[in-house]
Amino acid sequence: MENKKQNPIKKFVSARGVGQVLTVLVGLVILCFIFNLINSNFLGPRNVANLLRQIAPYIIIGIGQGYVLITANIDLSIGSVVGMSCMMIATLICNGLNPYLAILISLIACLAVGVINGELVARCKLPPFVATLGTQTICRGIAQLVNGNLNTDSIVGAGSQWREVAEGVRNFCYYGKTFGVYNTFWIALVIWLIFNFILAYTSTGRHVYAIGSNVEASKLSGVNVPRTIVKAYLISSFCAAVTGLITCAQSGTGTMNAGMSYETFAVAASVIGGISTMGGTGILSGVLVGASVWAVMDNGLQMVNTQVGLKNVVVGMIVILSVLIDVVRRSGKLSFKRNK
Amino acid sequence: MEQYQGEYIVELDGICKSFPGVKALDNVRFRLRSGEVMALLGENGAGKSTLMKVLSGVYQRDSGTMKIFGQNIDAMNPKRAQELGVAIIHQELNMCQHLTVAENMFLGREKKKGLVVAQRQMNEEAGRILKSLDIDLDPTTLVGSLPVSKQQMVEIAKALSTNARILIMDEPTSALTSKEIEELFRIVRQLKAEGRGIVYISHRLEELQHIVDRVTIMRDGQYILENDFAAMDMSEIIANMVGREIKEKFPRVHCEKGRKILEVKHLNAGRMVRDVSFESYEGEILGLAGLMGAGRTETTRAIFGVDPKESGQIFIDGREIKINNPMDAIRNGLVLAPEDRKKDGLCTKLSVRSNIELPNLDIASNKLGVVNRGKVTRMVDEAIRNFTIKLASPEVDAGSLSGGNQQKVVVSKWLTRQSRVVIFDEPTRGIDVAAKVEIYHIMNQLKQQGISVIFVSSEMPEVLGIADRVIVMCDGRITGEMDISDATQERILELATRFETKLDAAKAAV
Repeated sequence: MENKKQNPIKKFVSARGVGQVLTVLVGLVILCFIFNLINSNFLGPRNVANLLRQIAPYIIIGIGQGYVLITANIDLSIGSVVGMSCMMIATLICNGLNPYLAILISLIACLAVGVINGELVARCKLPPFVATLGTQTICRGIAQLVNGNLNTDSIVGAGSQWREVAEGVRNFCYYGKTFGVYNTFWIALVIWLIFNFILAYTSTGRHVYAIGSNVEASKLSGVNVPRTIVKAYLISSFCAAVTGLITCAQSGTGTMNAGMSYETFAVAASVIGGISTMGGTGILSGVLVGASVWAVMDNGLQMVNTQVGLKNVVVGMIVILSVLIDVVRRSGKLSFKRNK
Repeated sequence: MEQYQGEYIVELDGICKSFPGVKALDNVRFRLRSGEVMALLGENGAGKSTLMKVLSGVYQRDSGTMKIFGQNIDAMNPKRAQELGVAIIHQELNMCQHLTVAENMFLGREKKKGLVVAQRQMNEEAGRILKSLDIDLDPTTLVGSLPVSKQQMVEIAKALSTNARILIMDEPTSALTSKEIEELFRIVRQLKAEGRGIVYISHRLEELQHIVDRVTIMRDGQYILENDFAAMDMSEIIANMVGREIKEKFPRVHCEKGRKILEVKHLNAGRMVRDVSFESYEGEILGLAGLMGAGRTETTRAIFGVDPKESGQIFIDGREIKINNPMDAIRNGLVLAPEDRKKDGLCTKLSVRSNIELPNLDIASNKLGVVNRGKVTRMVDEAIRNFTIKLASPEVDAGSLSGGNQQKVVVSKWLTRQSRVVIFDEPTRGIDVAAKVEIYHIMNQLKQQGISVIFVSSEMPEVLGIADRVIVMCDGRITGEMDISDATQERILELATRFETKLDAAKAAV
């Protein structure tokens, strides 16, 4: 307390959540280095471009899940909302609607899911696990219903009056590049910048942390707890909707299984990056790093020709390990405090 | 609030509040002047906290009128209360552990520059408020890393940052050391001098004389009386709180001191338990006195096997036993009723029955592990009867009981099995006078049954009143031992503050 003039580097490292992010970042760099040793194409320009594009959806859904986790809740509906967004956009376009309008309509539907999630958890006091498990199933069902339990045709099919526009959307979201980097990555970065700003610099962000840390205290301090929780779920659904759009742009069709188990990827990306599932701690930079670890494993293990199963085993171990490191570090701190 | 000239800044009349099945407040009145400290007294469950929650907008009243600064208030909520200058400092500190001091102080009303939270401005203002209270704290410290006493200071500073004119303090001293209490009182006096009105709820009647101007007494959800503190004596206050005279505050029974039961030799466990050796006997209550943070709780936890031991031996009935975890301790007849009821003592969301059943499942179940329900029911009924636990049914949540009854559940769950040593860690904290006496009776009962009772307490009067022998700890070491006939508050305090000087420590290190 007395040494107010701390070493600025030390202060930065000890700031909220930064420690874990740096630890994982070091791991990430080592990981990239190893993959590059085995296959020197890994850090080649082509693969790096692909890699960045691959990371993007994980970053986006990780941001959404990160918000919800920091409030000490969870959103299991993310994957299904991705699927719903993807299917709704594709179905509407295939039925001759203006693609922009299609995107807007499906975005509104997805945001409605966020509101429902938030209301169920915050006002109806449903356990978030149960509430969002319910909406997860419902949204997947809607994804299957909108086109009569079939995947859609191509959204840029011949004869469609909106072909050019749809093509433009596909390029904007997935295939096009700006400054030599795929647009998908830029989209993720912009979303990250916006939501990182909200979380780190606005009172809404402060309330998100406060609720995750101590709901009762927040309520008594005059924080509108239900509204903040709804906001967090809304952000989560927004991120899922965008990811659905990207998925749709990538394949050019609506697939009913789009986004399957993305909610768990999102939890993993957040948790690897140091966001606690118990709420109150973590920063969105962690999501950047966590999503990168996930995508690098995905991409790297493919580059060095291993089986998918092995990737899953390794990634699962990383999830456990990263949380374990955090727990050990924190309990270490605790015993230190007791001995003061 | 513009200048208000009326006599009372708070006027509550005819306040009623019911919860399902209980009438918590029944036609209660309450008055507060500016620049005074009003003690709100009553047993646990008398409705003090409920009344204050009504005043601060946490609960809505069913009926009655509320005037604050002469203004009639219809609907109250926490935000409105804040605007009116009412702030409550809760018994269970309500702080976000993951946020900094400044962030906690401005939670819910962050200062903004445009869209952005004005972090630096909040830090500066928080620093200024802390400084005006003479509290030495960096506003950027994480609250979770502060001791309870400092967290409480932050709560007070937070209340002041809202420019509170009416401060409600619910049991503010229950977790503080005497030095910290003095600091708190200094701040309270300062606030009073600034013309703020303070409502002070406390069970520690002996500390009232230092700060209180007037008292309001409640009992069973009803208003009993309001008077100047100076006009009343302690026994009068207690009689009005309990509704009957308590003849003996500290009932003492005399027993023949018997064989040695527990012996602890050279126990070491971390910084707070250093070379602790003592013994306890059949038919005596051994008091473990000291200031808060003297290492008593740590000692009991190490003995009970919750925290790891570095070295030392424990004997029960002359036989050395190895205690590596609480299960070992329980199996050897050594049990602990821990300090923090809600955190360590009870599963608050489980029924009273489940709580009593939990540590005794081994006795109540057969070899296959199937629980004999009849046996459990008998055990639970017996415990409830023996300890006169007041409840509607054993199926109610343990967390819904009053503090005193919760404590009885914590104790009773151990006593259905044959124990040799029972350790009580601060069993009377936060419970009312009548419930305290009942806890003393329980300890006396055990003593008469030939069980060795170890009684950890920070309140000297009760140690002197109940224990037969006293051990005093300071800074993780035992600094003295005395028979009760030689014990005085002064002697205990002298031993309890016998800190090692730096020189001694250096010598010991060599």
